[in-house]
Amino acid sequence: MSSPEKIDGKNSKRSADLGIGKALEEMIRAAAQHPVTKDYPFGPPELAERFRGKLDIDPVKCTGCGICEAVCPAQVVAMISVGKRKVGTREIETKRPTFDLYTCISCGQCVDDCRFGALRLTHEFELATADKNTLVMDKALKVVQ
Amino acid sequence: MNALDLAEILLFPGLTFFVWLAFVFDWLDRKTAARMQGRIGPLVAGPNGILQPVADFFKLVSKEEIIPEYADKLVFEWGPPLFFAAPAVGTIFIPVIGLSAIVSDPYDLLFILFVLAFSTLMAGMLGYGSAGRYATIAIGRLIVQYAGFEVPLLISLITPAVLARSLSVSGIVAAQNSSGLWYVFLAPLSFAIFIIASLAELEKAPFDIPSAKTEIVAGWMTEFSGRSLGYVKLTKNLSYVFLSALAASLFLGGSSGPMLTHIVLLQNIVYLIYFLLKLFVIGLVIFAIKTALARIRIEQATRLFWTILTPLALIQLGIVLVLR
Amino acid sequence: MRSQTSAGLTQYSPENMVPFGPVHPALKEPEYFKLILEGEKIVEVIPRIGYAHRGIERAAQDRTWIKNVYLFERICGICSFAHSLAYAQAVESILQFEVPKRARYIRLIVAELERIHSHFLWLGLVGYWTGFDTLFMWIWRDREHVLDLIETITGNRIHKSYATISGVRRDLPDNIIEPIRREMKYIDERARYYKDLVGSEETLLARTRGIGRINSDTARKLCPVGPLLRCTGIASDVRIDDPYAGYDEIVPEIKTSREGDVASLLALRTEEVRESARLVLEAMEKIPAGSVKLNTPRSVPKGEAMFHIEAPRGELFYFVRSPGGTVPERVKIRTPTMANLLTATAMLKGQTLADVPVVLTGMDPCFGCMDRVTIFDVDKSREWSVRGEELRQFGINYYGNGKKH
Repeated sequence: MSSPEKIDGKNSKRSADLGIGKALEEMIRAAAQHPVTKDYPFGPPELAERFRGKLDIDPVKCTGCGICEAVCPAQVVAMISVGKRKVGTREIETKRPTFDLYTCISCGQCVDDCRFGALRLTHEFELATADKNTLVMDKALKVVQ
Repeated sequence: MNALDLAEILLFPGLTFFVWLAFVFDWLDRKTAARMQGRIGPLVAGPNGILQPVADFFKLVSKEEIIPEYADKLVFEWGPPLFFAAPAVGTIFIPVIGLSAIVSDPYDLLFILFVLAFSTLMAGMLGYGSAGRYATIAIGRLIVQYAGFEVPLLISLITPAVLARSLSVSGIVAAQNSSGLWYVFLAPLSFAIFIIASLAELEKAPFDIPSAKTEIVAGWMTEFSGRSLGYVKLTKNLSYVFLSALAASLFLGGSSGPMLTHIVLLQNIVYLIYFLLKLFVIGLVIFAIKTALARIRIEQATRLFWTILTPLALIQLGIVLVLR
Repeated sequence: MRSQTSAGLTQYSPENMVPFGPVHPALKEPEYFKLILEGEKIVEVIPRIGYAHRGIERAAQDRTWIKNVYLFERICGICSFAHSLAYAQAVESILQFEVPKRARYIRLIVAELERIHSHFLWLGLVGYWTGFDTLFMWIWRDREHVLDLIETITGNRIHKSYATISGVRRDLPDNIIEPIRREMKYIDERARYYKDLVGSEETLLARTRGIGRINSDTARKLCPVGPLLRCTGIASDVRIDDPYAGYDEIVPEIKTSREGDVASLLALRTEEVRESARLVLEAMEKIPAGSVKLNTPRSVPKGEAMFHIEAPRGELFYFVRSPGGTVPERVKIRTPTMANLLTATAMLKGQTLADVPVVLTGMDPCFGCMDRVTIFDVDKSREWSVRGEELRQFGINYYGNGKKH
């Protein structure tokens, strides 16, 4: 266990400084340099590669297993019945997910848990809208194998 | 008083000109402070954001004004215009397009001292009329701070008058023109003390104690909203310009300088350019100081004024009297 | 006029009470402090909390174990990873899982990056509270470097959604070592500059030196945690006293200060930033290869566990009880601000009104984290907490019978 280092409240290596306006030097340097303000929204935003934005589904890969509904922390997913199919002698319902993306927190749990790789998080984040129904993603309902 | 005088007082280089300068000063303040902090400042309203202060003013004026129930309605209605009147009237004594101002009286410096005092009195009235807890604390601080900075301010204003043997702003400018030497070199301490006391009058850091945002919300301005707040802010900007113009005239020679032409009309423009240049130099000095410092406490400010600045101002005045 | 009620609470006359909050420019989050003044001098501070209470402990009882990670990281934006980490480690204790070594190192790295971001946030805000906007803008400019790094690793700047039960959700991105080295070097340089600045800038010192001074005896009685404790000279840090997540191999050095005032808190936190930068670099050098998470069962066996970690503000404490199912039975959280609140109000006695924002925020408050409900019965000296179902029934009775307060 290392010994703790004692620190004083006031410490100045260059004690010959006046003290007032210590920040002046840095201020002049900052004024001479380019400002650090990013260009967005007058330019494109700079996002990391792993940035978690709006959810997107590939309807072809989705099989309607319902795992995304089970794991979503924000109750975004609702499995809707889109038809029936025969498996052997039984008739079971085919379901597909619909996403209320206005509730989505972009955590990515559904992306991690979907075995078929149907879900991904895009880089889109400008989602403000006056009508929340524009943020309902139901394109998986329309493609049924 | 003829129509030309009235036009000069109201439009140029009087009230309207100085109000426009107040807007430009506010913009310049925000831009330089932003650049020194590594950011951009206003950008969108007008080219490079120059219309931002105008936009802010019109936004405030167009909003609903909420007057607290226990507040004094007379103060809310008449207070802001009176507060505006103080520096507005003071500006007509500052020479802009000539060596003498629009109105020039042999004793107008005394009137300007009255204007400065009236300004603070009105700020106190506005706070008192607001009847809020934060405003009450703010008035206490305002009066204590006023008592602190008033004496050094007065002494440092008198020093150039002593040097110029004139109690008129126009006279002081003319004296600097004829002697060719700016008083900032003859009385540097007075200049420094005037700038520091101006920071206190304008409530800029490190003396923005009466309207300390993170302690008493907005101090004596807390209960103001809408139109009243728009005028209060405009007045504060106008005071900014007024005090800077005063500093430029009394210490940097104001509109005087080597005359470059003999054509009378162009001479006015040359005077104007000198005035504006010196005004912006003083402005820059104040912007830099206020950006570089934190806010100190009221008792520390008082100690600074009474134990350090007042004696120094007196010493400078004494030196000037002796060497005259 | 002041008098004491039987319960020891102070009555006061309304003339000398100035409300600080709940909505105030100095407070990031709403809390109500009644300041009893005499002139500008503060005689007493009476806090009233509960303005940011959201019922998170109750909400946790409805959600599965993995969903609760996302709930708890949203308790606070600044220490979000600390909350999810503490919860995950508490659940791992019940499950008796051994987290893979690589995951433990990655957790250390992200936790230290969060500490840097949190301390810079606070330091910048000290500039704001003392009217020194320039310092605020500069420090937050430098904080952007850390946030960009966190975004590269976890996908988001604030709600990192990175910790999971039994590890972290994704491995570090490839080629992350170069950006980390570059940014940590920059952060170290800047922290050194800021330490010099706050220690010698006269106007800032005038506002912070000697303000809110407490000594170690008072500290031992009032039990603060985190940097507030260490600034009085007591060397106590959960990362050393009870190591977790890689701190047993990458050992931090405790920084303390003797002064116990706000100026020493400023210097102390800049030193902690430098130490965090060093820890991140050391962890990146020594990180082993391996998996970053294990498969976790949906149902956790019956049991209970406590876990405490060193969040940026101090000791964060989680208690989790499992009934042997898919949802927890009880999660109890004790945040560092809860422990520091009384110390901060004690620091204020005898100071002036101008010191209130500086001292109250000197403990780096996070009231959003802090609000919890405990039910006291003062006369019977009894305290207890209610279950969700009891609370619901109480509400039905209370409003259903038409009784109003």
